[in-house]
Amino acid sequence: MARDLVMYTLVHQPRRLKLPAQPIPEGASIGDIRRCLFDETLNERYFRKVASTSYYPAVELFSRLARAGLKLAIALSRSFISQAEQWDPALLVHFRNLIAEPNIELVGTEPYHSFLMMLDIPAFIQHMRAMRDDLERRFGKRAVVTDTTEMYMAPAVYHALERAGFSGALMDGRPWVLGWRAPTYLYHYPGGRLYLLARHTDLSDDIGYRFSARTWSRWPLLASTYARWLRETPGDLVFIGWDFETFGEHHHRDTGIFEFMERLPEELRLVGIRSLMPSEAIAHHGAMSHDLPLPAYPTTWAGSGGIEFFLGNAAQQALFQLMTQVYMVAQLTGQPELLDCACWMLQSDNLHCIQWFGRSGAEAAVSAYFTPREWWELGADGIVREQQQVYQNFLRAMAWHLPGRRARQGQDMRKRGI
Amino acid sequence: MVRLGPAEGQGAAALDPHTLSGKGGEHVLTRVVRGEVITPENTIFVQLCFEGPDVYSTAGGLGTRVTELTEMLAQQGYTTHLIFVGDPTLPAVEERYNGRLILKRWCQWVSAYYPAGVYAGEEAKLYDFNESVPPHVLRDIAEPAVRNGKVVVILGDDWQTAEAMCRVSDLLYYNGLRHRALMLWNINSLMSLHRINWGRLNFVTTITTVSRYMKHRLWSWGVNPMVIPNGIPARLLEPVCKDDARRLQDIARQGDPQRLVLFKIGRFDPDKRWLMAIEAVARLKYTGHPVTLIMRGGIEPHGGEVLMRARALGLMVCDLEARHPSTANCFDLLAGAGPADIYNLRFYMPEEFVRICYAGADAVLANSGHEPFGLVGLEVMASEGLAFTGSTGEDYATSFENAIVLETDDPDEIVGYLLHLQRHPELQQRIRVAGRRTAEQFVWEEAFENMVSKLEYLARKQSIVLS
Repeated sequence: MARDLVMYTLVHQPRRLKLPAQPIPEGASIGDIRRCLFDETLNERYFRKVASTSYYPAVELFSRLARAGLKLAIALSRSFISQAEQWDPALLVHFRNLIAEPNIELVGTEPYHSFLMMLDIPAFIQHMRAMRDDLERRFGKRAVVTDTTEMYMAPAVYHALERAGFSGALMDGRPWVLGWRAPTYLYHYPGGRLYLLARHTDLSDDIGYRFSARTWSRWPLLASTYARWLRETPGDLVFIGWDFETFGEHHHRDTGIFEFMERLPEELRLVGIRSLMPSEAIAHHGAMSHDLPLPAYPTTWAGSGGIEFFLGNAAQQALFQLMTQVYMVAQLTGQPELLDCACWMLQSDNLHCIQWFGRSGAEAAVSAYFTPREWWELGADGIVREQQQVYQNFLRAMAWHLPGRRARQGQDMRKRGI
Repeated sequence: MVRLGPAEGQGAAALDPHTLSGKGGEHVLTRVVRGEVITPENTIFVQLCFEGPDVYSTAGGLGTRVTELTEMLAQQGYTTHLIFVGDPTLPAVEERYNGRLILKRWCQWVSAYYPAGVYAGEEAKLYDFNESVPPHVLRDIAEPAVRNGKVVVILGDDWQTAEAMCRVSDLLYYNGLRHRALMLWNINSLMSLHRINWGRLNFVTTITTVSRYMKHRLWSWGVNPMVIPNGIPARLLEPVCKDDARRLQDIARQGDPQRLVLFKIGRFDPDKRWLMAIEAVARLKYTGHPVTLIMRGGIEPHGGEVLMRARALGLMVCDLEARHPSTANCFDLLAGAGPADIYNLRFYMPEEFVRICYAGADAVLANSGHEPFGLVGLEVMASEGLAFTGSTGEDYATSFENAIVLETDDPDEIVGYLLHLQRHPELQQRIRVAGRRTAEQFVWEEAFENMVSKLEYLARKQSIVLS
């Protein structure tokens, strides 16, 4: 039975697009283009809301628990970090203090929370390296283990992370990925040096999704019960992971989620489970790591664990085509700022929030929960149409910045007196 | 869509559910606030419009309308905010009339990319306008005004402001201020009506228009606007110098006292029936009635077709070019141009010279096939000119009383009436005098009286106390 526990949370806020799509003036500067693409007013509103319901109280809770001996891994997307820098620098100080705790391990994540790895693996490697350096500069700790985006994992990404210099990576331990294997062991791709921690989906979702569901047969979940479940799980270690916003935002304070977490360390102690940070788990179990031949079909931690959660319907597939175009045209402009915009537009969240299109059921409900409520005024078709329009607008705006055209359009602009 | 007949009209008469609870219409009507009127002390005005007083912002009659209306409001003592798509090179905010008229040039960051004018980059401007104007009206205008006990009258003009008006109303409502605002949305053209959410707009504003013709056209969209006619500034009633008018005639008659002098001004838009005017000139010429047409069009492509037709009909066209000429320059240009059937003025005409042309011409061809109001016809009357108008929005025109109203697009109708008038100079004179008297009834001050009476009526409907 498992004796070790690794807990992980990801802090992330999407950089939401501006819907309905704002037309971009012909010849617009990159600054103006950016203003037309992203809804920073909306982003600030959500950021501040989640800061008060989740970030502040949860950081305070985890800081206390870490000081009391609980070990935890935490990752922060650049999307979150730049929003915090912009709108609440004091919050970032709180996170910095939390991460400085010896029992907290800083884990990496794809900085834009994007699906860049599906389009450009060399650029992905570069981004992951830069992310690691950036996090070290900001928080004083160097990430040796990393998440990707939505725990996306596939053979190419495995090799890329290995090349980027990480020693461990996180993935979701779905049965269809693991086959006959259990998620409660440490893995590596055959012949690879990068260790893989497989998230225990059920035990993670007991807290992540079901905790506040009064219709759930196991509600209310008590810390003692949960600790017992962990202890009764066969294997070497249990790796569980959630959005950081699980604490206070997905499950509001009045669901008892904070009290649950407060109580959990003591209950773990009583059943004889120790908490470890990911790098410690690798150190302890690395010698007994098992082969895991990753399927070519990518896995994520969303929905049923396949990439179909993000690319499963026609609207998502159309948007992904637009993402591809946007990224490629941005590369052709040779302008780093436009490439930066394009990477933001590759955010998985843009695909996540239209998973509901043409679907129903629990997964669609989760997707709809993450769709900004302000967008629903547009209706389902309107959201999809306007979202695509943002990409179309960006494509047209970038055409003015293509090197071959800049000279000719410069002449046009001069003629028009701009 | 519900089609309303004239007897079923609701529009202004419909109670505003934002401000009234339940179906208390009868109850509300008994709460007439006696003796309370709209004054500069209790009311401020906000005008939303794409067009405005800048050259950049003027494309047609709408710019003139909002400029003159807001100036008149400021002259009457009302604090008036005019929010329009202004020249990107001018200050974002500018005060006139001792701070009573506050010009707010909106969308300047977009306009900077579109120096051609107010409607270039229209979609980008529209988005910005809709997003940013409503919160500005709420926070920076309505909230302080209501705190000071004032009523806010918000006027929107044309389809571009329809969405913004709805959003302003929603914001005021959610912030508990809708009951202190009167909102009128005015329509001056039939452009892009399919882009308006009529049900929503009719719910949150009182829809107005400028003529009975427009009112009837709007019925097909399920709304019944109130009519508040346009106005003209009182300065246009200043008599035109008779010597100047005679001088124009002398030049244009080219030595032939029987030669007719016609004038036409307007955008090169098929609705303005330029081709009808050109055909009429040709038919006069080839039936032995010499004629001179002085014309001033715009930059629109239809102008090419108009001038090509003129030349094809054998009319001699003389293009005259100048940069910001004075009235004296205009006379000199015409006098030195040599003989022609048509003088095509390709420059911005000073107002004074336009009015001389109105007064000096035997007829001004304001013969549009579709005209929401027909401001030119009224301006001609104010100058004691003889206007040939169309028969759509020109409610002010009564044929052979104060103008000549054309009923068809047949050029011979123009020819026939001109020859009839040539034979009856006393009729011409009578029409000119009557036209001027009519124009006196349409100065902005008169139009404002009309508007105020409707505002007070609407205030009663909303139980607004004008203290």
